[in-house]
Amino acid sequence: MPEHKILEKVVEILKPYAKDADALAKVSLETNILSGLKVNSARLVDVVLAFEDAFGIEVADEDADRVETVGDAVRLIEAKLG
Amino acid sequence: MEVSAPGPGLVAEAMAPLPDSSASAARGGRGRWAPALQRAVGRLAAPVCVPLATLVMRFGFRWRIRNAADSRALYASLLREDPRPLLVAANHLTMVDSALIAWGLGSAGSHVVHYRGLPWNVPEQSRVESSWLWRVLAYLMKCVPIPRGGERRVVAQVLERLGHLMRCGEVVLMFPEGGRSRSGRVDAESIAQGVGRLIKELGDCRVLCVYLRGDAQRTWSNLPAVGDTFTIATRLVEPRSALRGVRASRDLASQVLGHLAEMERAYWAGRP
Repeated sequence: MPEHKILEKVVEILKPYAKDADALAKVSLETNILSGLKVNSARLVDVVLAFEDAFGIEVADEDADRVETVGDAVRLIEAKLG
Repeated sequence: MEVSAPGPGLVAEAMAPLPDSSASAARGGRGRWAPALQRAVGRLAAPVCVPLATLVMRFGFRWRIRNAADSRALYASLLREDPRPLLVAANHLTMVDSALIAWGLGSAGSHVVHYRGLPWNVPEQSRVESSWLWRVLAYLMKCVPIPRGGERRVVAQVLERLGHLMRCGEVVLMFPEGGRSRSGRVDAESIAQGVGRLIKELGDCRVLCVYLRGDAQRTWSNLPAVGDTFTIATRLVEPRSALRGVRASRDLASQVLGHLAEMERAYWAGRP
């Protein structure tokens, strides 16, 4: 799956969790999910679980620890999709 | 004040450094010595700090735990009879819950003599860092501050440290809701991953679920009411999950919260 498609899907998944709608409208690969989009850290797990469901992948805790930006999420999903 | 004699077979205390775990060994010396040093310093201060904290609770705030003898007996037997890691998971209503739970699981005397039984706890880092007094008290009273809402990577380092302590025979107290219950009731939707992740990574972890509530405690607050009397209930569980990855951590934490929610229902059903 091309990167821009993954990014589109990731942003779609993040929508209900992002408290900062303006930041979401200007989202880039560098946008920090917690501080930039104001996603509640406790809900980050829900986001990761949504990635698993949407892309049919499995994410280990250690992999999830490395997801800080939208780009980290996209790269993780790309890697999992092979 | 209720005083229970320490269990005769509780594991002997040692001042030696905590044994190393592979994870902390890989991180280098600090991972091994920092908790060991904190424990040794806390151990030295315990004969003053622990009774003082208990006196403040008992006579300063006039709090009382009505059925502490049962929970203390169970806790002592868990420490005595089984070497597997033990996690205490509790509901969370006030800022002093960890102190009250420690009191409910052992008298001041037993915690001083059997220091291992005084659980480590994980207060919010910003609160601990708000003053030097808090920093000192947190260091002496077996606290490992955790940045709530922080990056997962940083939280993971704290969890690794807690896991290391538990593999070394120490007990850790955590609140699976991740914060005080804003509704005043156990919120099964508010799941902090830490509890599940620790259980998953330790593999053979036992969890002592503790439900503690003051008679006057209607909802969450900073402190319980002066003169309040608490009920404490305990349930030992061994959560397991067939799932993997983040989903397994969520499942395990959810199971623990489910037990706490059940214990809460039983508490309210039994209240006159």
